[in-house]
Amino acid sequence: MESMQHTAIVGLVVVACLASAATAETRREYRYPVGPKASVTVDTEYGSISVKPGTTREVVVVALIHSDKAKIDISQEGNRLEFESHLLPGADEQTGRVDYEVTVPPDTTLNLHSSNGPISAERIQADVAVEGATAPVEIRSVGHGHVHVKTMKGTITLSDVRSAHVEITSISGDVHLNSVSGPLVQVNSGSGRIYYDGDFGSGGDYNFSTHTGDIEALIASGASADFTAHSMQGHVQSDVPLKPKENNRFPVEVGRSFFGTVGKAASEVILKSFSGKIRLKQR
Amino acid sequence: MKPHLTNQAAGKGDLTDPKLAKTAEAEAIERAKQGDEAAFEVLYNLHKRRVYSLCLRMVSNPAQAEDLAQEAFLQLFRKVGTFRGESAFSTWLHRMTVNVVLMNLRKKGLPVVSLEETIETDEESPKKELGGPDLKLAGSLDRLQLQRAIEKLPPGYKTIFVLHDVEGFEHNEIATMVGCSIGNSKSQLHKARLKLRDYLKFMRAEKAEKQ
Amino acid sequence: MTCSEVQRVLPEMMDGAPNNELQAHLEKCPACSDLVAELELISIEAHQLVESNEPSPRVWLAIAAELRSEGLIRDPEAKPGRPVLVPTERRRWNAWWLVPVAAALLVAASYVGMRKPATQIAEKPAVVAPANAPDLAAQSNQQKPAPQVAETKRPVPIDRSLDEPSVSAPVQVVSTEDRQFLDDVGQRSPRMKAEFESQLRAVNSYIRDAEAYLKQNPGDEDARQHVMAAYEQKAMLYQMALNHIQ
Repeated sequence: MESMQHTAIVGLVVVACLASAATAETRREYRYPVGPKASVTVDTEYGSISVKPGTTREVVVVALIHSDKAKIDISQEGNRLEFESHLLPGADEQTGRVDYEVTVPPDTTLNLHSSNGPISAERIQADVAVEGATAPVEIRSVGHGHVHVKTMKGTITLSDVRSAHVEITSISGDVHLNSVSGPLVQVNSGSGRIYYDGDFGSGGDYNFSTHTGDIEALIASGASADFTAHSMQGHVQSDVPLKPKENNRFPVEVGRSFFGTVGKAASEVILKSFSGKIRLKQR
Repeated sequence: MKPHLTNQAAGKGDLTDPKLAKTAEAEAIERAKQGDEAAFEVLYNLHKRRVYSLCLRMVSNPAQAEDLAQEAFLQLFRKVGTFRGESAFSTWLHRMTVNVVLMNLRKKGLPVVSLEETIETDEESPKKELGGPDLKLAGSLDRLQLQRAIEKLPPGYKTIFVLHDVEGFEHNEIATMVGCSIGNSKSQLHKARLKLRDYLKFMRAEKAEKQ
Repeated sequence: MTCSEVQRVLPEMMDGAPNNELQAHLEKCPACSDLVAELELISIEAHQLVESNEPSPRVWLAIAAELRSEGLIRDPEAKPGRPVLVPTERRRWNAWWLVPVAAALLVAASYVGMRKPATQIAEKPAVVAPANAPDLAAQSNQQKPAPQVAETKRPVPIDRSLDEPSVSAPVQVVSTEDRQFLDDVGQRSPRMKAEFESQLRAVNSYIRDAEAYLKQNPGDEDARQHVMAAYEQKAMLYQMALNHIQ
């Protein structure tokens, strides 16, 4: 009997050790010196991606691999680096997870893809292309490049993004734009809400469109823009006194559309929804 | 990426045998992993025109284009065992082809993207262009003329034009593959289209004169 | 907007978002309008070259010989020699569902064309019609582009009695392409299938709402742009599956 108990305990210990080995987290660090205007791609199915600027001309990637069911494929060609999580059979959301913390020179172009983990990038002065799915995307203090973001339902937050070409598509994720100015800021959302807080820059094109999602724009004092708002089946409201325009794109329908300018109408702002509410407010 | 890439992935290649066509890439890839020659041939036939045409557009030399197409297929087939997900097979192949071609251009010291950054000059303004309404490009273009015009493009412009307008890659994909900014890709594309417009008008005028 | 400003913004705007100022200028400036029309014509015609050339048979012969010499092509009688690098662990993944991606994107592209001023390009028939949007396909084939910016026709409200309420009621995923798409996603991950199904319903609802509105208000430029936006979302959804769920 004692022998059987002993065998059982040993068996349990062995199983526990094997289980622990199978799920052990591994931290890997990769360092690559790069020249100006490098390009870094990170592609993972499960796990987060966070990118921050460094002070050296080196790309540093710290990957937290959550089990031996996930590997990382790395390829480098000149100034272009690609890190791709590679799932082995049986990998799931937990065991297939790889979290990336990336430090890059600020002029590095980024391509970031994660199907299920949050993605963030900050203080980059280059193109940033992000494709998420269900988790949030946050981009902060990025400028002088193209910022392209796509999500299925992950919330998208852009803050302090200046002089950029911003293109955002989301099916049901909310889109928050705080102090974002372009030459071009374009948002295509389905049921997600679009919230803009800023001054609409000085001479850009802003085009926000939703299916059922509401659009709310909070404009800073000193803004200079030409507004067109139209919701086909939703309500529109402007709390901001707008100067009337002579030529409208379509006849004013009370409660469904409004037009007008503030300041010198430097930027063109088009707010369109199929059935969502549109509201323009003064900060 | 534009739709035509994926249209190709759906198996609308050269396969005339409906049974083979319905086998689809998925099964061909699985069989290729086992070393089945017929499966490799199915995959080749599905994509040969697309891959070869891409190479030909980029290098404008049939013999060299065939060598590059061969190299792209070989690189792909060597890695077919690692392929995870047949749906992306065509994307994988086309990217690999682009990389093979770009690598070749780089080896030869040819620019894959133009260094010229300015977007337009006064000469390119439509107001100042030669050619009145009779030289407008209208209707469908002569495909041979268009091919010849593309061949005349400087290498950098040609790369971006072929990748975007012929192959259907998006600017962010091109920027990654070529190693330029999205803005640069857009401006190069625009300039390439402007140059092609000039070439085509010139060719049309020449043809009209001969007639 | 002046002609030189058009020149400045064209690289960014030609394939991108609609811009009222640009449209307004193009409608009144034949030179710029011709320029845009001709550049679009070149772009559209260029794609016809995508599979225009056939390699000589020597290419396959050389590839096959090389594969044989490397042991990648094996004699069916012989025992498996060289091991496959990664076992064929993955689910069988059928690529046929990618067809609607093409359809969705091409519809979006055809709508970009339709919203442009009258040109020869806009009169070109759509290359592929979406499986689930026959009305749109018919329009893109037959309808010449309507005046855009100056459209003043008052919109006709949708007759909702003929249509399910879109916001509250779930929309059925009906097309076979959608079903195939979801089945393929589901083979990979049931959880992701539920996510994609929910998003697909939302997108199809958007498409249906926008198309119904456009059908009743055929000259409505905003409705046209909503249709385009909805198809862009659907294309994005399929593309995400292609990129990530493999």
